[in-house]
Parts: sequence; C-alpha cells; structure tokens
Amino acid sequence: MKIILKYILTNIQERKVRTAVMLLSILLSAMLLFVSFSIGVSYESAQRKMARGMAGSATVSVQNVTGGIYAGDIPTLPVIQTKAGILEGTSLYHENGYYETVDLLAADIDALNQINKPRLRNGGEITNFVGYQIILPDRFTSKYGIEKGDTITLQIGGSPIDFEVLEIAAYDTVFLRHTRGATALLPLETLKEILGQDNGYSEILIEAAGHTTTNDLISELRNALDTEKYRVSEIVNEMQIAADARQKSMPFFLISFFSLTMSIFIIYSSYKVITLDRLPVIGTFRSIGATKKAVTRILLLESLFYGCIGGLIGIPVGIFVLKAILQGMGKTLSQGIEIPVIISLPGAFLSFTVAVTVSLLSAWLPVRRASRLPIKDVVLGTVEERHIPHPLIVGIGTILFAISVFLPHLASGNMLYLAGGFSLLGLIAATILVIPIFTNILSGVFERIFGAIAGNEGRIAARNMKDNKNTTQNITLLFISISAIIAISVVGNFVTTYISDVFHGAELQGFADGRMEPEFVERVEEMEGIEKVLAVYVFENTIKTGGITFSRLEGTDNLEWYSSMLALKFTDKGLLGQAVASFGNKERSVILSEDCLQRTGFSVGDEILLSNGTEEIPYTIAGSFKSRATDVEAVIPAYCAVSDFGATVYDFLAYTAADPDAIMVQIRALFGETSNWSRTVEEFNSDALSTVGAFLEPMHTMTYFILLLATVGVINNLLINYMQKRRTIAMYKSIGLSNRQNRKMTLIEGASIGLIGAVIAIFVSYMEIQTIFLVAAPKISMLPELDLWTFLAAGGLGIFITLLGSVVPFMKSRNMKLIEEIKFE
Amino acid sequence: MRELTEKIVIEGKSIVKDFQLGDTRTRVLKSISLKVSQGEFVSIMGQSGSGKSTLLYILGGLDTPTSGAVFLNGIDISKLGDEKMSRIRRQNIGFVFQFYNLIPNLNVEENIMLPLLLDGKKMRDYKNELAEILEVVGLSDRRKHTPRELSGGQQQRVAIARALIGKPQILFADEPTGNLDSRTGADIMNLLQEINQESRQTIIMVTHSPEAAKSSSRIITVSDGKIS
Repeated sequence: MKIILKYILTNIQERKVRTAVMLLSILLSAMLLFVSFSIGVSYESAQRKMARGMAGSATVSVQNVTGGIYAGDIPTLPVIQTKAGILEGTSLYHENGYYETVDLLAADIDALNQINKPRLRNGGEITNFVGYQIILPDRFTSKYGIEKGDTITLQIGGSPIDFEVLEIAAYDTVFLRHTRGATALLPLETLKEILGQDNGYSEILIEAAGHTTTNDLISELRNALDTEKYRVSEIVNEMQIAADARQKSMPFFLISFFSLTMSIFIIYSSYKVITLDRLPVIGTFRSIGATKKAVTRILLLESLFYGCIGGLIGIPVGIFVLKAILQGMGKTLSQGIEIPVIISLPGAFLSFTVAVTVSLLSAWLPVRRASRLPIKDVVLGTVEERHIPHPLIVGIGTILFAISVFLPHLASGNMLYLAGGFSLLGLIAATILVIPIFTNILSGVFERIFGAIAGNEGRIAARNMKDNKNTTQNITLLFISISAIIAISVVGNFVTTYISDVFHGAELQGFADGRMEPEFVERVEEMEGIEKVLAVYVFENTIKTGGITFSRLEGTDNLEWYSSMLALKFTDKGLLGQAVASFGNKERSVILSEDCLQRTGFSVGDEILLSNGTEEIPYTIAGSFKSRATDVEAVIPAYCAVSDFGATVYDFLAYTAADPDAIMVQIRALFGETSNWSRTVEEFNSDALSTVGAFLEPMHTMTYFILLLATVGVINNLLINYMQKRRTIAMYKSIGLSNRQNRKMTLIEGASIGLIGAVIAIFVSYMEIQTIFLVAAPKISMLPELDLWTFLAAGGLGIFITLLGSVVPFMKSRNMKLIEEIKFE
Repeated sequence: MRELTEKIVIEGKSIVKDFQLGDTRTRVLKSISLKVSQGEFVSIMGQSGSGKSTLLYILGGLDTPTSGAVFLNGIDISKLGDEKMSRIRRQNIGFVFQFYNLIPNLNVEENIMLPLLLDGKKMRDYKNELAEILEVVGLSDRRKHTPRELSGGQQQRVAIARALIGKPQILFADEPTGNLDSRTGADIMNLLQEINQESRQTIIMVTHSPEAAKSSSRIITVSDGKIS
C-alpha cells in the first residue's frame, strides 16, 4: 500500500501544472456550490431580519380597525408570551434643503425590551427616557453629523418640535426599515401628548409562548377577540421569505450547476490524457498480476485525492468569499443593514461530497476503460481509440436534444422541475455528442473559405479540425463555458429586472396605501395634473370561500383600469372583455389569480360562495390572471364589496398624473398624521433596486469565478491539446512547416474553434434559457428580454480566450526538438 | 527523371554533436565527414547508440551539429534560419521515419500532398503527380483512406510517397523497416530500391538490418561516433 501511495504522490508532484488545474477546478466548484448554499441561507436570514424589523420576536400584530388599542384589550392567553403596545407617528426632518421622513415610535420600554431590545451604540440600557428626548439610529446621525446630547428639530403636524438626542442606537431592531427615511424612538407619554392620542396604541405586537406556532396564535386570538373590531395579522410571512430566498438563490445554483459541469469536463478530459500517459504503467501493473479492479482503484485514488483536497480547501475559501461578498452587500444596501454570514453546515457537507463524487465519477469512465484494455495491447503499445460510428452518435444526440427541448413543455407541477433539470443536463450532453459531426461539417465549409482567404495554410488548418478529438474537446469546453456565462448573465439580469421593476408594464405611476374616505379620493381626483385615479377596497384575510381565506381580496368597479393600472395578464385574454362588462354591470363576479385558482382547485365559470363570516353569497368566477404588480388573490366589483361585505373606506389608491411626484406630496399632506404608505413608482423602484441590486451584486462577482473556471478549463485543454499535438506539429515541421506557417495555422485553428464554440454556445444557451424560464413560468409573469449583445459579447470573449490560449502552443512549438517529438511512437 | 552524375548532393564536414545528459556532456558524433553523390543509395549502419540516426537527422536538417557543417548543393544548411530551412525541407528533402509520422486525421492523398500544400501549391495542379506516385507505391485504391485504416506497410508506403511527391534531391529514411514484419519490410526495401534505380533518386537510409542494407549501393558504418 505504501508503494502505491508513493506512486500516486509522485504522479501528483511530477505533473505540477495538471495537478494545479485539476485542484483549482474542483476547489472552485466546491467553493461556488458552498457559497450558493450559504448565500441563500444568509439572504433568507437577512430578509427575515429586515422583514421582522420593528417586530423582533413578535410574530402577530393586533389592531383596532376603528382606532387605538389598549394592552388590556388583549386577553391573557397561554399562547401569549409578551404583549408590546406600539404607538406610531410621522415627522419630517429638514436639513440643508433636504427633507427626510422620520417615523416616530413609542412603546412601553420594558415590553419593547422583551420582544425587540434596541441596541444602543454605547452598549448601555435605555434609562430616564422622558420628556422631549429622542433615540436615533446611527445611520441617521452619522448622515447629518448629529451627536448624543444635540438638539434636533422635527416637523410634526406642521409644527417644529425640538428633541434632545438621548442615545444613538445601532441600525437594527426597531430602527430597521424597508424604505427610505429613518425611525426614531420617543418616550411613550411624549408621543401620546404630541399626537393627542389618548385611546391607546396604534397596534399591539404579540410574541408567542413556547412552541406555539404563528398560525395557532392567530387562531387563538381570532377566537378570543371580536374580529369585526380587531384585525389580527401575521407580521412576517415566513413562507414568503423562504420562497423569496429560493427565488434569489436560483442564479447562484445555476452558477454552481455550470461550474460543476465544467469541472466534470475538465477532470474527465484530464483523466483521458492521464490514463493515456499511464498506459505503460498500467501494462506493467497488469503484467505483474494486478487485477482490473486493482488498477482502477490505484488510478481512482489519485482522483480521490483531488476531490478531497479541492473540497477541503474549497469550503474555507468559500467562507472567505462569502464574508467578502456579504460585507460588500451590506454596504451597498440602501438600508445599510449588516448581513449575517450563515455557514450552512449541510451546504458545506454537500459541497464536499459533491467535490469528491464529481472528481471520482469524472475520472472513473476513462480509468475503467484503461484498466479493461487487453494486457497485450497495453504492453505492446497497440491500443487504439474505440471508434463509434457517427450515425449512432448523431442519432442519440439528436434524440436526446429533442427530448431535452420538449420535455419541459410536457411536464407540469413538481415534475416540471425534474424535467427542467433533465433538460439542462440533456441539452449539454446532446450537444457534446453532436459536436464532432458538426465540427466536421463546418471544417468542410471553412476549408473553402479559409483556403480562399489564407491559402493552403488556411485550408490545412480547417481540414485539420476534421475528426480531430483535440478540436472537439476544445470546442466542448468552450461551449460549456460560454453558455454558462450567457445563461447566468441573462438569468441574473432578469432577476434584477424582475425584482426591481415590479410594476413593469403597469400603467400606475404612484400609489397610496391607507384608510381613505370617498371624500379623500374626490380631492385626489381634483388635484391639478391628475389623470386617472383608481380607488380600491381591500379585505385582508377576511373573505373566505369554503374553508379557504383569501389573503387579499379587492373591490373595484372599473376592471379595465384596474387591469391596465396593475398589469393584469388574463390567462384567457378573451375573457377580459366579458369580465369588465360583468364588473361594470355590478354582477356578482370574481376573478382569481392563477396561484389562487390552483390553490383552491376552482375553475373559471364555477360558482363559489364568498363569506366574511356572516352569510355566504354566490359569485361566478369570470376569469383568472397573473400580475407582478399586485399580490391580490381575488377581485370583485366595488358595488358588491360595499353591499355584500360592508366596505366603507378605500384602502388602496393608484393613479397616473402629469407629475406623479407633485401628486404624491399632496396625497401625503392629505393623509396628515394618518398612517399610510404612499410612493411613486419611481421611488418604489429606486428603493427596490438599491436593495435587490445589492443582493444580486454577489451573483455578478460569482460570474467572474465562472470566467476563472472557464479560463482554467481552456488553459487545461490547451495544455492537453499541446501535449497531444506537439507530435503532429513536429511531423508537420519535419516535412517543411515553418514557424510562420505554424503560427498562421494555429491562429486560424484557434479562431475557428472559438467561432464554432461560440456559435454552439449561443444556440444552446438560448435553449437553456428557454428551459429555465419555462420551469420558472408558473411563478413569474414576464419573460426575459434577450439582449443580443450579451450573446455576442460572450461569444467574442470565447474566441478571444481561445486565440490568447493559442499563443502558448505556438510559442512552445517554436523551439521544439523535432527528433525527440517524432522519433518515438 | 534526373540523370546520374557524379555531382555531390550532400556533404558533411567535420560534424560534431554533443548531448547534455544531466551533468554529463556526451560527444555522440566525433568529427564526421562524408559526401553523397546524386543517385547514390547509402545505408548508414551501426550499433544502438553509435550516432547513426543523429548523423542522418543532421544531414537532413532536422537537427543541427555542435560544430561542423552540412552542405546541400553547396549551401551550408546547418546555419539556416527556420523559414529557409523549412523551404529546403519542402523542396529538396524527403524524410521517411520508422513510425511513419502520418497526420492521423488526413487521408492518404492529403498526407501525400502536404509538402506541396505547405509550399503554396494547389492540389488540382498536381493530380497527375499524385496519381503517378500512388501508382508507384501501390496505393491507388486507398487514396481516400485515413492512416488508421491502413496496415503498417501501407502507412510506410504513404510516408514514402509523401517524401517523394515534391521530387526531392535526397530521400532520408530512418529505419524504414524497423516497425514492420520481415516480409513487409522486404517489400518496402524493394520499393526504395526500385525508386532509386528507376528515377536515380538519392537515398540515405539508417538501418539495423544487414538484409535491408543489401539494397543500397554503399554502406557507411558508424561506430563510437566515427565512420569506420
């Protein structure tokens, strides 16, 4: 065993460049996979932290639908751990012509400390917090140069009020927010006095006791409270956060998929050469009695070494990269929150396992073949490459390609993901099979073209590509690398656009979320420059059908405007006109989102019974839709919302206007101190982009790793290419090929390989993108806009890398010793 | 066909060749001088490690001497640059190797035409020459086959045809039968002899085999780096 180990270690030591390339490819793959896993978990944790923000460990909020709420309104239940009353208000901070919204928050400090203790910058506790004192987050104070003990002036209800800065807190817990502006903490009595609030809190935040689930807590509270008077809602939708994190991790996993594919190819092609190199040794082993199994094991031990070392180094490198990425990400986030580095232990274990498995499996095929060769052939050096007839390969490749293209079209539900995975792998495998024949065909075409352009050298260079395994190997690796870069760029850009441009295609330019009386809407309609105003009734978690509650049901009479304002895409476009008419006629119609339709199992045309807990009223499903601009599940005519479910005030308003910003200022003024969330679409997108852009930045960073891996692969291939080709070059030189001619032919060959690789990659990546979006289609409502430039740039980059790589074999062959290369077979 | 004259085609003058093996510098050729006239068929023989192949490669311009000179038609080829030497290899020299050295993915006629193609000639202008040489080597019916599809003897015939297509002044052969069985080897030697006799092709061949050497008109024996 010692001798075998020594033999393996000597092999590794002697082939330094090859060892480095194989180790690097495994290391990068393990690292990318680990980062993909961990970034999803870290992202989820950061999202949860952001989503919880003010709520901390509280999971449920209770509000009085008509006014304030007292802590005593919530009965003492065993499922409740803590109740914290929160009072909210808004103010404006003005500094050097810049206005910033400062949301005011007050609470019983003891209760607040239990659910979400503010973290003071000096590490102390909040004490003697009374009167006109204020606690501000460090992000706000550092922005305006405010120090502890300073006095700041806030405009509240139009009046300036001075506050002494008691403490400066870290930008987390209650101070964390999703939108622009800042949150400030005031003494409870002071805010009550300023707001003139004498009927309790704005809301009560509730922390569940022990292992009580959020759903159980909500259910118990709804049973104990008068649901007509109190609104019980979940603060953070954990499932939604997990789903969001999954969605945002998708590009990272796509990167891992491609990096693994490249690693497999790099190791497989390296091992093909290694086993060829080792044939004399294999022959010696076999001739002295080693079994096929023993030879396989000896050779696989070496690949196990690469897998283990690459995997073991890849994970710490991954931790380092993850930290760097998340640190950069936190800094770029507009909210400036700290993103925790969550090291996914299952992710680390899986990455290591995958590194070892990929290394072993990729080496196994060539090793198994070498160990099975007849001893006589190996010893005498008469081993010939197995020749599989072209028609069979092309046939298998074509069938596999066709199956890979069509399978995702035929699958649905969870099978769609399986079909998508098969399709991505199948497209790559089928292309690898077809590349040799495709190269042969193009070689014939190039022979004429290059012959005309570059003379006989061009003709020979093109002819040389025919039936040339080195060439097909180079094209294969190049196509995998380029298609990976294209697919990752397209998917990455799409995710950025998809998340940061939620209102893509929607007509609305601004919206307001808050309680709005009909008079409020009338005043908006009268504002100068206003074009369209769409006011909507909203029912959150109140309207049911059977045992299913709609998370959001809205009421509007103008379905046509509603549809264009919120970019509703009807599943059956023909039904839109019919639905618009039935809404206009105040018929009891309802349209459902596709997700809701799937969730409830209803079909268009079904009659369903809607209820708010009192009576059940029949509605006909007039259509289904998909929309990115709204998460509404059901829409009914506004007339019915009033008559059947007692809607009195609007909760949402969308508008278009000549100057959306000017309208927004006026709408905010109309709301005054009333709680609202009003944004122009531009403002909203800008906030979303700064958040999402920061989250997606690492993806672009990881694309560079893919490029690095691709470069490693191409260099590896060119080295293999050179090693295998130097004898051929020597043969050419022995019959009169000059260095100038060699350079010309090498460059022509390099450019041709690059071009073929790029063309195949562009086509295959287009098909891969179709598959990816076919799989994602049920969850998204827009298709990517494919930018030709991305495809061409990636293709151009591939050609450039190959040309650059051609320099190495040319330089090395300039001074080659012809006799050494050609004398021995 | 050239006429046999006493013209010296190639001349080696005081050829010395040293090899560095680790720390040891070994003198393989110790000041060898020789002349070969046009139309001669010279066999170079000697034991393994005697330096016979090294001498052949130096005479053929595939290697350079440590000192001394090689004159081809009066031109010292041992000091030529890559471009000029490559042209000489294409136009004046043909080489046949023990292991054939054919380009595996090119077919028979493409392999044969390579030296002409590299010399900028058009394949269509040399159809007759190609047919003629294929006839000479007996491979007219194998012209579209790749080396993989040929036997060792056939591959060596392709190599001979390739070496001769440009009508070189000298054909160098390094153990042309070394990788063949005795019967096929004899066929190849007959072919070379035929070529030498019918077209007065100058041939310099390295061989171990006294049987093969019998085909030649002169035998040079290299021993311990010297012609004995």
